[in-house]
Amino acid sequence: MNIKELLHEQSILIPLAAASKNEVMEKLVDALVASGAVHDREAYLGALHNREATGSTGIGFRVAIPHGKSSGVTKPALAFAKLAEPIDWDSLDGQPVTGVFMIAVPEAAAGNEHLQILIAISRKLIDDEFRERLLAVEDAATLNDLLGAI
Amino acid sequence: MKKILAVTACPTGVAHTYMAAESLMKKARERQIELKVETRGAVGVENELTEQEIAEAHAIIVAADTDVLESRFAGKPVVRVPVAQAIRNPDGLLDEAMAKEASAPASLQAQVAQTKEARSKGRSGFYKHLMTGVSAMLPLVVAGGLLIALSFTFGIKAFEEEGTLAAALMSIGGGAAFKLMVPILAGFIAFSIAEKPGLAPGLIGGMLADQLGAGFLGGILAGFLAGYTAHYLKIGIKLPRNFEGLKPILIIPLLASAITGLLMIYVIGEPVKFVMDSLADWLTSIGSTNAALLGLLLGAMMAFDMGGPVNKAAYTFAVGLLASQVYGPMAAVMAAGMTPPLGLWLATLIAKKKFTQEEKDAGKSAGVLGISFITEGAIPFAASDPIRVIPSIVTGSAVTGALAMAFNTTLQAPHGGIFVLAIPNAVSHVGLYALAIAVGTVVTALMLKILKKPV
Repeated sequence: MNIKELLHEQSILIPLAAASKNEVMEKLVDALVASGAVHDREAYLGALHNREATGSTGIGFRVAIPHGKSSGVTKPALAFAKLAEPIDWDSLDGQPVTGVFMIAVPEAAAGNEHLQILIAISRKLIDDEFRERLLAVEDAATLNDLLGAI
Repeated sequence: MKKILAVTACPTGVAHTYMAAESLMKKARERQIELKVETRGAVGVENELTEQEIAEAHAIIVAADTDVLESRFAGKPVVRVPVAQAIRNPDGLLDEAMAKEASAPASLQAQVAQTKEARSKGRSGFYKHLMTGVSAMLPLVVAGGLLIALSFTFGIKAFEEEGTLAAALMSIGGGAAFKLMVPILAGFIAFSIAEKPGLAPGLIGGMLADQLGAGFLGGILAGFLAGYTAHYLKIGIKLPRNFEGLKPILIIPLLASAITGLLMIYVIGEPVKFVMDSLADWLTSIGSTNAALLGLLLGAMMAFDMGGPVNKAAYTFAVGLLASQVYGPMAAVMAAGMTPPLGLWLATLIAKKKFTQEEKDAGKSAGVLGISFITEGAIPFAASDPIRVIPSIVTGSAVTGALAMAFNTTLQAPHGGIFVLAIPNAVSHVGLYALAIAVGTVVTALMLKILKKPV
């Protein structure tokens, strides 16, 4: 699977030092803008916040997956941050978060292929072993290897 | 082995839907529970649950923050939670689903509802469009017809006195509700064909049909005309991209309404008005022999396929005539639609040896469906023994229809079963009307007693 098309090098933040959930989200959005996946920062950020407002995307097990569908998104994309310090995300299990996957989906999702990849990654997050390895990654290369193997 | 089903869905449809599915599957594997999960996400519905799987399932877990067509699971034990719950606590959900009391074998009501559902799904083309229009129109007819009937409780001419409650009821029922009948019929036929762009031309065509005196037949024609005109304009007209937005809001409504309207006024209106007038004249001056024959035919049609196309043809005919102030066929049609389940109920009482215990239990439900004018209540019986049941119910209904017409009974409302009898003036000659229903019920029951084989 060609994960590089989805997860641009500029969108991998290891480690990311941030003080709050909002700061993490903004930094990841900035990274997606820099990589060319998002053209309207505010619109996409709005979609992310709307999604958070309906219920935290902290899925538990120290992982969060903020995601948003917005016309501000140019193409489906991923961003990943490994946080230097765990941050509270109002997670389902109450634990603070160290791994954050941000998912960007355009309003008119063209081509299912990329969506399928995002879906495969989402599914994989349920696997304990995969999660442990994900939270242990130290650089972009190991992350790419790990995701590429899905 | 208990089989569990689940459906997962979330608004964005890329993350939670699939994590919830995966999380449930993982736990189910660990615990060796048989589980199938339908996902409704951004790439559409995957792993869709079939009707058979739903029927066989012990319980269904719905972990969703959006609509998942839950009506499919009517009568099944359902565990309903937000999607996140399935990610956090799949164990608990599986426990809850396993602990659910298994549903009783599908009741008669559930079977009837299922048949109706399957039928409306299976409808296609002409019939589907017509039924969309008729079902949109029905509430207007019910409300209008009953309000007019209520106005008559103050005296048959009471509404002529301005400022009275009777006059107010008449203007709500006759002046507003009945005036909307044909436009709504035409509008929703067109809507069914061409979606939103069809609605306006359909409503306009229907309004013209009403004004021109072309009645419900004119309305049906206007609806199809408007619908197909809008449909073909929609696919036929190609505009530069920048002007594409004008199509649904300006070009299609304008052209389709003009075409439909002009055809209604110059071509279709007059001949259809002539047909409608002749029909209404004939029906109001019909001798009792012809009336009885018409009732016989309508009655037989009502029972023939119990809610299928033949039944709906008779029904639509009668409902449409209400718009032309012809109330006799409606009376015959409803009475004849009530007797098939009623006759079967009576038969389970007088011919106990010829029905299984299950059928005898179902007989009581059939009775309730019968008095509610839900002809479909007869379907489960007819399905298990069509060669004996269908002739019995057709004969009973034909007799009832003929009697209702011969007795000159009329009915103002298109539905309601025995309950409209309680509303003053909704039915004329209530006693004779009840007699007509009772005779048909007895005829059906006796025929079943003779024809059916002992079980």
